[in-house]
Amino acid sequence: MAGTSEQPWHDVIRGREPRRRSRRRTGFAGAAETSPTVFLILRRMRAPLILLITIFAISTLGLTVIPGRDAAGQPYRMGFFDAFYVMSYTATTIGYGEIPHAFTGAQRLWVMGTIYLSVVGWAYAIGSLLTLLQDRGFRQALALQRFTRTVSRLREPFLLIAGYGQTGQLLGRALDALGRRFVVLDTSAERVDALDVDSYHADVPGLAGDAGSPRMIGVAGLEHPYCEGVLALTDNDEVNLVVTMTAALIRPSIPVIARTVSPVIEHRMQAFGSPTVVNPFDRFGDHLRLALRAPASYQLLSWLAGGPGAEQPEPARPPTAGRWIVCGYGRFGRELTEDLSAEGVDVTIVDLDPDADPGHSIVVGDASDPAVMARAHPERAVGFVAGTDNDTTNLSLIAAARRINSELFIAARQNRPSSAPLFAAVDVDQLLVPTEMVAREIYAQLSTPLLWRFLQDMPARGNDWAVHIVDRLQLHCGRRLGSVWKITMTRREAPALWPSVTTGDARLGDLMRSPHDRDEPLPAVPLLLQHGDETILGPGDDVTLAPDDQLLVAGDPPARRYLLDTMTNPAVAEYVLHDRSVPSGWLWQRVTGRVPR
Amino acid sequence: MSLEKVIFGFFVLLAATLNLGFFIGDLSDPRLHNVYELFAAVVVNLIATVLKFGDRTQIGAVHLATSLVADLQLIAAALVWAYATQIAAPGLSAQETASVVSLSGGALLANLVAVVLLVVETVSFHRR
Repeated sequence: MAGTSEQPWHDVIRGREPRRRSRRRTGFAGAAETSPTVFLILRRMRAPLILLITIFAISTLGLTVIPGRDAAGQPYRMGFFDAFYVMSYTATTIGYGEIPHAFTGAQRLWVMGTIYLSVVGWAYAIGSLLTLLQDRGFRQALALQRFTRTVSRLREPFLLIAGYGQTGQLLGRALDALGRRFVVLDTSAERVDALDVDSYHADVPGLAGDAGSPRMIGVAGLEHPYCEGVLALTDNDEVNLVVTMTAALIRPSIPVIARTVSPVIEHRMQAFGSPTVVNPFDRFGDHLRLALRAPASYQLLSWLAGGPGAEQPEPARPPTAGRWIVCGYGRFGRELTEDLSAEGVDVTIVDLDPDADPGHSIVVGDASDPAVMARAHPERAVGFVAGTDNDTTNLSLIAAARRINSELFIAARQNRPSSAPLFAAVDVDQLLVPTEMVAREIYAQLSTPLLWRFLQDMPARGNDWAVHIVDRLQLHCGRRLGSVWKITMTRREAPALWPSVTTGDARLGDLMRSPHDRDEPLPAVPLLLQHGDETILGPGDDVTLAPDDQLLVAGDPPARRYLLDTMTNPAVAEYVLHDRSVPSGWLWQRVTGRVPR
Repeated sequence: MSLEKVIFGFFVLLAATLNLGFFIGDLSDPRLHNVYELFAAVVVNLIATVLKFGDRTQIGAVHLATSLVADLQLIAAALVWAYATQIAAPGLSAQETASVVSLSGGALLANLVAVVLLVVETVSFHRR
């Protein structure tokens, strides 16, 4: 995992107002302004309108010039008023008849011509208007204008999501459930249309446009004062790089999370500011390494990352000693081979390309060919990785390898969401679904950044420490994870604790006592204490809490309520922290003279 | 030379000249103001307005505004004329003629501004 930039996300989570910087004119905001569609209509309607005016003018003029006769048979010429009246109802195909006097033959001949002329004129004008409304460019212009208007009217912090594929959709739903707003930019019009069908709580503005175009990113609200972050989630690394670059150059202050599967692109992204780069292959390799090196750490990681209600996972014990077979030496295979080699594991690569990597023993050929598979000797291996970019191939590889050696530890990569039931059925030991991996990682970072930090720093503490934490969690909360939440030692959030916190005599161990009986511990475990820039993982009972400290706690839902009670009720806080019984009512406090501090 | 510019200049000028033709002469004398000329002025002004649609430049916007003013004035003149000939006592009185012609005079001013704009645009185009 590359360097992270968590601090800005903290601001986001704490709900701090985004800094309103004076808008730098980048020249790109001007270009981002959209052409008003009304001009487009007017421009296209010029010819039909002029034709209509001309037809009306000629028809009216003709009527006034052609001699007629009145009822008495006297020569009579129609005035402009009558002529225009006749033309108005004739041209609009209403037809009241011959007014003010019955027409002569010459007049009828002229009116006949004008009827056909005006019908052609109307048909042309209305046809042009309808064509214009159907026109793709026009509709795009309309959609762009509507999108720009919606985005500029947003008055709450929002995230800009570039790329609304599987990852974007998963993340979008999760963010929406958290009550976060976001704006979507995607190349595919169908995916953007799907936004209307998806049942989001909030209205999600979406634009079908090139996510790799800085102008489109600008239109999607990069320079909006309420834009609090940019997520580059397209399946194209190049586009993600452009998004990262644009965000870093135009709005250096806002955090960026980008997805990529290429280490080269990751390096290039890191050159611009400090985006958080999520590489699913890299992360999977890290997890596998962690599982090899420190099974308990991995167990803790997957338990906490599983979210509320997650069962304690069985401690998976991937074999540390022995040879692994990696099928498919693409980007995924490469990452994984590197990680396995770094753990000192012997790796055999099976790939079509003979020059894949001279550093490892390699079997050239199609792994689904039984002869090739036999040459990799699965019977003497301990681990097997099905890592091609084709799900059918991966599934058949797993089946073939299992047939030869049923004891193999199997890791696989699932590329398409539709294959999920098949992979579940073959019961893989460790499964990578890149889109879900990215969505889960980013969600963990956005929803509870403290937990993210905990998961980042936790592996460094070693396996024994993780065993200790897992045991504590199991002791206090059972095998099912309740929830993980954050409390902050502020006057607003913990008014009852505030006096003790400011004087520095609030011990963490005392805080974690039950309000019913001080001698009983709360069914909760403090995971992490953030004190200024310093983080303490698994803080002990003797740690004293200071103002503005943030505490990450895992525990049962009742523990959360008890803790809230302690934090907000001075009498409870007095009892829990200092073992002093204080009446909660004002009168009795005065009568007994026992007042909470 | 672009045909579009020729047509545009033609209609803008024609609108102004027709307007002037109708306006000129004793304000209250119906014999000096031909209604056919008013009709032609209205039609040509409408066409000129449509020709100015969809121009996003500053000068284009002012062009459109002058045309809209001229249209408004000329249509008002035509309505007064229709009222005078059809609804009020038959025949144009001196007073009614004066109001029709003075309304077209207002349109003439707007049309003159349009002509000035046209000239300014042409001259500044050459300078560049």
